[in-house]
Amino acid sequence: MTNTATSESASQRKRWLAVLARANRSELENALARESLVAPFEYVRAAEPGMVMLRGRIGGTGAAFNLGEASVVRCALRVGGSALGIGYALGRDKRKAELIAVFDALLQDEARREAIQRELIEPLAWRQAAQREAAVQAAAASKVEFFTFVRGQA
Amino acid sequence: MSQPTHISAGFTDPIHDAQAAFRQALNALARPGRRVTLGAAVKGLPLGPAMAALVLALSDDDTAVWWQHDSTASKWLRFHTGAAVAATTSAAAFAVILDAESMPGLDQFAAGTAESPEQSATLLLEVSSLDDGPAVEWRGPGIKDTQTVRIAGLPDGFWTQWQINHALFPRGVDIVFTCADAALGLPRTTRVRRLEGL
Repeated sequence: MTNTATSESASQRKRWLAVLARANRSELENALARESLVAPFEYVRAAEPGMVMLRGRIGGTGAAFNLGEASVVRCALRVGGSALGIGYALGRDKRKAELIAVFDALLQDEARREAIQRELIEPLAWRQAAQREAAVQAAAASKVEFFTFVRGQA
Repeated sequence: MSQPTHISAGFTDPIHDAQAAFRQALNALARPGRRVTLGAAVKGLPLGPAMAALVLALSDDDTAVWWQHDSTASKWLRFHTGAAVAATTSAAAFAVILDAESMPGLDQFAAGTAESPEQSATLLLEVSSLDDGPAVEWRGPGIKDTQTVRIAGLPDGFWTQWQINHALFPRGVDIVFTCADAALGLPRTTRVRRLEGL
């Protein structure tokens, strides 16, 4: 496999994991019900909550510092002999981490990837982008512009 | 995308399985020579049940593990516990030895220091049998009078090396022998006398 192919598929995987992590649990449950999977989950690591230390940078670009700890829940499993699916999400919802891991496993299967991307990932990504845009707009509406008057000018 | 090597499951019930494994390891080292049973077989893993349970319960991201033969097991352990692979025998907190006949000498492993004798290696040795080998007599703390042990598959000169290790007290290494789902502990405080094959 060429380098461009691996990095492209890696960034594709990053993208769908990010979309899944931001989704609601109910959205994922509904999508799983539509998949009608028969095979049982083989847990490699059952869903477990833990903590991560969030790191920030002063002013966005300066020295790194510890922002605080956040609860994160993770899970790793296989579905019917598939590739290893891994799910990470903020919060303590174990079922959500399981669902993310299931979809990660299914999305790594070339045969099913396109259908799931089309039916689940793209609509979720669009909705998340719209929500983010709305939040940015609302914040921008509260922005205050400061003008400085220099003595001698209007 | 390159797939990582196949990673097997860890403990099915992480909390209770780990507690049970730790308790059995404690019993094995507190009562040297008395067999304990622990662990369950892990599908797809080239380690026996007792060995897998011990290394899963005892290691974490602070304990480097030395692997005699590189295999998928080191990646499996790193996934579940964060344990790094030790580059040399002297850097390891634990050593997983599946082929006891060709193991390095006991003096190759960290024996700790006088101030910190606990900074030593614990060797996990998979042997072919705990009942068929040449008889050896153990004495010392945790043993009432004597305990006769018949571990098979150890290299020549092993018990001589052990006498040297014992003389280093409080420094020295500790060993847990495993055979499928059985384990036998040999802490550094145990004195050994060969009964046959001198």
